Amino acid sequence: MLDKIYTFILIGAIAIIGNWIGYDVSPIVALPGMLIIVAITVSGFIVEKLLPVKLPVVIWVSFIALLVTSPIFPGNESISKATGHINFMALATPILAYAGLSFGKDLKEFKKLGWRIVVVSLIVYTGTFLLASLVAEIGFRVTGKFH
Amino acid sequence: MKKLLSWKIQLIVLALVVVAEFIGIKNFDLGIGVVALFPMLYALIIGAVISLPKLKLLSEKDMNIAANILGISFMLFVAKLGTLMGPSLPQLMDAGLSLTLQEVGHFFGTIVFGLPIALLLGMKREAVGATFSIDREPNLAIIAEKYGADSPEGRGALGVYVCGTLFGAIYLTILASIMANTGWFHPISLAMGAGVGSGSMMAAMTGALAIIFPESANDIALFAGAANLITTIVGTYVCIFFSLPVTNYLYRKLEPVLGRRSRNSETKA
Repeated sequence: MLDKIYTFILIGAIAIIGNWIGYDVSPIVALPGMLIIVAITVSGFIVEKLLPVKLPVVIWVSFIALLVTSPIFPGNESISKATGHINFMALATPILAYAGLSFGKDLKEFKKLGWRIVVVSLIVYTGTFLLASLVAEIGFRVTGKFH
Repeated sequence: MKKLLSWKIQLIVLALVVVAEFIGIKNFDLGIGVVALFPMLYALIIGAVISLPKLKLLSEKDMNIAANILGISFMLFVAKLGTLMGPSLPQLMDAGLSLTLQEVGHFFGTIVFGLPIALLLGMKREAVGATFSIDREPNLAIIAEKYGADSPEGRGALGVYVCGTLFGAIYLTILASIMANTGWFHPISLAMGAGVGSGSMMAAMTGALAIIFPESANDIALFAGAANLITTIVGTYVCIFFSLPVTNYLYRKLEPVLGRRSRNSETKA
């Protein structure tokens, strides 16, 4: 758990620097928001460990983030304001950097695959994105929302 | 215990982030539409080049650590998107119908498009594992438990998993940009579509959409995050009780029609 906390703090620090360069938010302004995001994430892991119900950590993290920024939670407005200084794009940049750095790992496995499975995977990803967008679009047009 | 600590990896990521954010967002108007390039894409692509085994810059161990960090790092992104949801609950409720229905699209989309094409290409049982879901870790576990990891179904699922890990984010980003440029969809519909149930893919697509529609950037992050959360919450149950049985049913119906009859076209996944 401790190495996870170190890792989150490191990623947070890197994202604060990215947020500074890319979105002109000074690290001092961004710090409280990032600490809150790290705290929410760590709480998610703790809740997952402690509760007997087995659900993916990502659900607990989302739920806690939603809870502390919802109107029923004391101080929700200051929390939202602080986390609002962290641009979500700045937070995604380090994440995709880790994704990039692990690329070579699966390359050997990839070379063993036939071309058919590559085509099918692209279709699978296209299908899930397009059909969901299409259904959402139909939903919006039927209910008249967003149009 | 998965190993997470490596100064080498963290320093490279810091350098990638600094370089990527310095370059910033670049829009290219190709006449047929705008292609948006943005920091997270540079970080992804330069990172991938650095990791190429030929360059010998990273060891297998380094790459495994990067993959382990990736596995938990997207939680921070999810936490950030969660903080957008709290204050916007009424807005989310308001879009409730679309938000619920589009999940059917997420779960059906892989099967409806993927299975017929897999069968036409001559795949057999691999097709079931490959197309019943987007084949991320939880889905692999479901297939492994039911058929075994070394079964045809397991090989199909693993193939899509590997392709998705390598090219999913970049491919979906291009696709999302193309779709955004057609003007057929509302930005929020595409944002919901982006909630495919994988953190890095969703992050990259959300980035592309937010740059093409800057005035809706926050709503895009909000709805992509909400859709992704729902996909994750119901994902495992839907896959076990719905997606897998439906894919098997359709396989039995479609394989005799679309599948290649000859024995010697037995496929390798």
